This record gives sequence, structure tokens and C-alpha cells, in this order.
Amino acid sequence: MDELLEQFLVEAPELVEQAAEDLLALERDPADAARLESAFRAFHTLKGSVALFDLAPLGRVLHAAEDLLGAVREGRRPADRMLCDALLGCLDAAGRWIGGLGHGGALPAAAAAEAGRLEAGLRRLLAPAGEAPAAPWLPALLAREAAAVAAARAAGLPLTALRFLPAADCFFLGEDPVALLRTLPGLAALHLALREPWAAEAVEPFTCNLAIEALSTAPAAALRQALRFVADQAELVALPEAAPEAPPEPPAEPPPEPEGEAATRSLRVDARRIDGLLDLAGELVVARNALAQATARAAARDPALRQALGPGEAELERVVRRLHRAVLDLRMTPLSRCFRRFPRLVRETAARLGKSIELEILGEAVEADKSLVDGLFEPLLHVLRNAIDHGVEPAAARLAAGKPAAGRLRLEARREGDRILVLVADDGGGLDAARLRQAAKQRRLLPAAAIDALDDAAAADLVFAPGFSTAAAVTELSGRGVGMAAVRSAVEGMGGRVTLASRPGRGATVRIALPRAVVVTTVLTVRLGEEDFGIPIDAVLATARIPLGDIQRLRHGEAFVRQDRTIPLLRLAGLLRRPAPPRRGRHAQVLIADCAGQPVGLEVDGVAGRLDVLLRPLDGLLAGMPGLLGAAPLGDGRVLIVLDLPELVGAEPAA
Amino acid sequence: MSVALEDGAIRLRGASAVEDAEALLALLQAEPRRPVDLRAAEGLHASVVQVLLALRPEVLGPAADPFVTRWLLPLLAGPPRPEPN
Repeated sequence: MDELLEQFLVEAPELVEQAAEDLLALERDPADAARLESAFRAFHTLKGSVALFDLAPLGRVLHAAEDLLGAVREGRRPADRMLCDALLGCLDAAGRWIGGLGHGGALPAAAAAEAGRLEAGLRRLLAPAGEAPAAPWLPALLAREAAAVAAARAAGLPLTALRFLPAADCFFLGEDPVALLRTLPGLAALHLALREPWAAEAVEPFTCNLAIEALSTAPAAALRQALRFVADQAELVALPEAAPEAPPEPPAEPPPEPEGEAATRSLRVDARRIDGLLDLAGELVVARNALAQATARAAARDPALRQALGPGEAELERVVRRLHRAVLDLRMTPLSRCFRRFPRLVRETAARLGKSIELEILGEAVEADKSLVDGLFEPLLHVLRNAIDHGVEPAAARLAAGKPAAGRLRLEARREGDRILVLVADDGGGLDAARLRQAAKQRRLLPAAAIDALDDAAAADLVFAPGFSTAAAVTELSGRGVGMAAVRSAVEGMGGRVTLASRPGRGATVRIALPRAVVVTTVLTVRLGEEDFGIPIDAVLATARIPLGDIQRLRHGEAFVRQDRTIPLLRLAGLLRRPAPPRRGRHAQVLIADCAGQPVGLEVDGVAGRLDVLLRPLDGLLAGMPGLLGAAPLGDGRVLIVLDLPELVGAEPAA
Repeated sequence: MSVALEDGAIRLRGASAVEDAEALLALLQAEPRRPVDLRAAEGLHASVVQVLLALRPEVLGPAADPFVTRWLLPLLAGPPRPEPN
């Protein structure tokens, strides 16, 4: 990747975060001139860097945002909530597009249209009040639905056009945009299409990718009422009023350049370079293992040599271990990297649901491995959204229960030994165990008798069951289902556990416990038939292809000679009690491993590669099986079983 | 609701939920030419609608549900129309 772009991909998200933080602060205190200045600079710098790349739509949006903030600086406009909302919306889009740039290159196809909408929204805030919104999608809609338009006109009915782009994660929140369409009054035309084209094999059933357009003969206010929970995703235009475009503003005067960067002692390094370093450290471990074997053999023959090699050998081992540890530590990141995004997202969700929420964040300085910090974001977002949507009651109910009108949400992280606890606590109504049981019965998650036998804590755990209802019959609980099952699988995928405790009437707490450092185990993956298995690289001395003719049959088994040593040969299929088909070809693929100080050859069908995995203990039926060290979730949903070679070989009668 | 393979057609019954989209997708990916029978469908979840829009199987109607028949079936049965953008 081009160095300039690389730099941009690191800096731009930070500017986006900075601007978002400033705007949130500004919203609380519109007179905070320092925050206003900081937000202005962040937008300005971002706009300047964006201009270096092929990101024209984003550039236009940022330009409009900068103009708007310029107007605030000059006192032509107040920094009110509407303004902050519009600017935060731009930052959200900017964040997504810049993130996408890092993954695949170009802006998504729909970006130009979205940018047009955002820019028009900003310009509208700059323009004198009362102008109709610009809706670039409207002409195409009117052309497509010309028949419906003509029919409504002939009948003398008013028409409102609607474009609804449901949030991509709306299914996780238990929403069904099509069900919402049923509630629209006066529907006169409806069109649904995929927002982004999807190849048949790339369909993601849980990601909403719909663009919905409709015409209604109901007044815009009635539609707005029906769409109030998705107000940020729907755009309404009353017809037949034309939609005049606001004239573009003249560019604002160039702002003063930011002062020189504060002196800093930290160094910014791309995470991939750290991972590259981790790979090298892993290889060093393997090389040392092989060397240790060789020196041990040499030293056995020559006491003088042993004297000479011993201290060096011990020192080498110590340094290699420390190096591996130190590289892992480089990946430690404060949780604030993940937590700082929540105030804005919580605020948006609360606004969408018409609730008021006070979010308290504690312990964001706690550090954990980068992969855990990044991996926590999605599950925590689901948990927070659920708490706002289902946990916190509407203001009236809260006041009636003697609670403050605004719901309180606490996100807290703390270290506990070698684990990290992350808690999300709300002061809402808690979970209704009786209704959970009923919903579980309707979905037949367990036999009815088993569900009745659950105590309240176990019933609360039902929300994590895959497929816990999102159906219409249990609307009040909907959304927790898919979301919470996904939360559990994400947390367990990181080697953690998630539980939920509820106090009826007083709130619910979701508790996530994670290992602080990822126990990254480097494994060699070997193939047996169609399956892959992992073997910890610590135990591996070498891989070799042994000519079949060199394999000697012994009384109870087989062996081969390598570097003057006779090494017993075991077949992995046999160790795993699987049928071992007759050998084919002219070589056997063999992995030479250290088993309790003795080299052992392990015949496999192939060596697939080297992987850093998060090892977690086996559960269920596999937990008691000897010879299995654990399982490691792979990125693609498969699970790699990692073998405990010494135990597996030890269980075998001596060869 | 249920998603079932019957006589070479994928039959949707009752009101669908988000989980049904995955089952439908799997059946269509396995054999894209299978028709989807909506005659017993009482409501289509948005996730199911978008799977049908993405894979464009032949759909059989009219559906038990008037909203599906009136508004969704024409979009699912016709040839792909230009995107709204």
C-alpha cells in the first residue's frame, strides 16, 4: 500500500474521533470555544488529507461541514443539537468510508448518493430556514412510479415520497423494515431493491442491504409518526413542491494552521508490523528448539562441550522467551480505544428510541491485547443497544417507579487477576423471567418441563440461546435473540465468558470476563484426510519428507534414521484411532516433535501452515478426551482442534 | 414459520423471521433453480425479501397475505429492475 495512504488510514480515524468528541462536548456546552476550535481544526485537517486521495464525495461533505463550523465560529449560527447531529452524521459516514478504504480500496457505490444527502443536509443548516430538502433520488422514483403519481393526482390526493435505508445491523436489533412498511398509511407505490449488489454466494442474511422507496397519499406528518423510530434512516419529501437546491456557499477563508505537534515520546507503528515481529519471534522459538536438541546430543558425548554450551543455551532460551513476551506486550492497548466510540453511538440509539440516557464510563485505561480490545466493540455495542432498547423503561414508567427520567447506563472495565471484567449495567426494569420462559417455550428451545425447572438465573441465560425468539409474538423481547447469541459467540471466540444478572425492577448487568493477554499459541497445522489439526510449535523440531524405503519395520512399529538417530514413527491417524489408509506416493510427510525429551516422528497427510491461535479449553463431550489440548476458533467459523502430542503419544503403547 | 423443500420447490409457510433467511439462502445456493412457493406465506421478513431479491428465484403466488401479494410479489416476480440510485 502506498505510504501516504497508509499514513492517512492511521490518522484519519483519529481525527474523526477527535471531532466527534469535540462535538459531543460542544453540545453539552455550546459556549466552549476551545472545543469549537478543536472540532474546526479536526474537520479542516481531515478535509485537507482527503483531498490527496480519490475521495471527492467525502471531500465535499467535509467542506460543507467546515463551512458550517466556520459560521458557528463567526457567531452566525448557534452550535445547537441539530447542528451537532448533522456533523456527527458526517463523521459517521467518514469513519465508515475511511475504514472501507483500508479494507478494499474504493468508496462504496452508494457513497456518492449518501454524500449528496449529507452535504445537502449541512447546506440546509447554513441556508436560511424554510428551504425544501434536496433529494437526488426523487426524480428516478417519480419516473419509475409515474402511473401511481398520475393516479393520485387524478384523484386529487396529496403525495409524499419516502426513501428508507434501514441500518445494516437492524436485524440484530430485532427490527423488520418490511413489517414497518405494513404500518405506513396510504401506501401508493413501493419499491425494494438491494442497496449494494450481492453475488449469490456473497449474500449475508443477517446484514440488511435494502433500499426502500415508496409513495404515500398520507401527509408527511403521518408518515413521520409511523417512522419515528427510524427517523435517521428515512427521508420524506412532500410533493409536488419542487426541491430547489441551496446555492453553494463561497469557500470560507483558510483557517490558521494548527501549531506544531506537542513533543511526544511515543512512536506510531502499524499493527501489521508488530504482527510480523510476532511471526519472527515464533520462528525463533522453533529454531531454538531444534538447536537445543542438537546441542543436547553433542553435549552428551562431550562433557567439555556441555560445560561450554550450557550457559549460552540457558541464556538463549531466556531471551527468546522474553522476546516473545515483549512482542505480545506491544499489542497491549487501552480499552479507551474501543470505549471512546460509545458515547456517540449510545446517544444516537437513545435519540432514535426517544429515550434519554446518561452513560458513565469507568476503567477505560485498563489494557488488553489489541485483538480483544477491537473484538469487544461489536458485542458491547449490541449489549448497550439492548440495554437502551429493552432495559431502560420509557420516561413515564421510570418516573412512576420513582426513578429519574433519564436511564443510567454504566460501562465499566476492571482488572481482576489475569482477567479483565467488562460490565454493562442499566437501571431499567430487569428481565421478566416468566416471560422469558414463555418465549423459550414458544420457540421450543428446550422441553417445557426443562424450562419450568430453570431457576431465574438460568432463565435469564436463555437470552443467549441461538434462535431465542425475534418473532412477532414476543415483540417486547425481540432483538435480544440474535444479538445476544452473537454476543456470546463473539466473547467465547475470544476465550471469554458472558453472563447476565437481572434484578427485577432495578436493572440488568451483563458481565463479560476475558483473559487479559491473549494466550496466543503458535501452532503448525497438519492435515489428516479432510481435516486440519494444530500442533503447538513449541514441540516441533522439524518437518521432513522420508522416502518410504527408509522406513524400517520394528517389532511393534516403525522407525526411520535421521542424522544417525533412530526415530520412532507414529501415524497421526492411528493415534487418533482412525483408519490409516495404505501409504501412497514415494514419501511420507513427517513432523519430528519433541515428546518428553525424545524425538518422535509423526506421519501426517500434509503440513498446511503456521498459525497464531487463541487456544481455549474444550467443552462438552470433547472435554474428557485425552491428547487434546484445546480448540481454537478460526476466523472463518471453523474450529481447529489442537493436539497435546506428549499426551497423545504417551497413551500409545511404546513402539 | 417454516422453510421446507417439498416436491422440488421451497415452500414458505406462516410469518417468517430473520432466522428463516439463512435456511432459504442455503436451499437456494444449493440449487438456484428451485422455485419458491409463497402461497402459504403470511408475511415476509425483510431478511427473507432481500435473499429473494439477491438470488431472484422463480416465485409462486399469490401469497396468503394480501400485503405480500399486492406489494412484494410484483417486485420479486418481475425481472430485476434498475436500482433506485
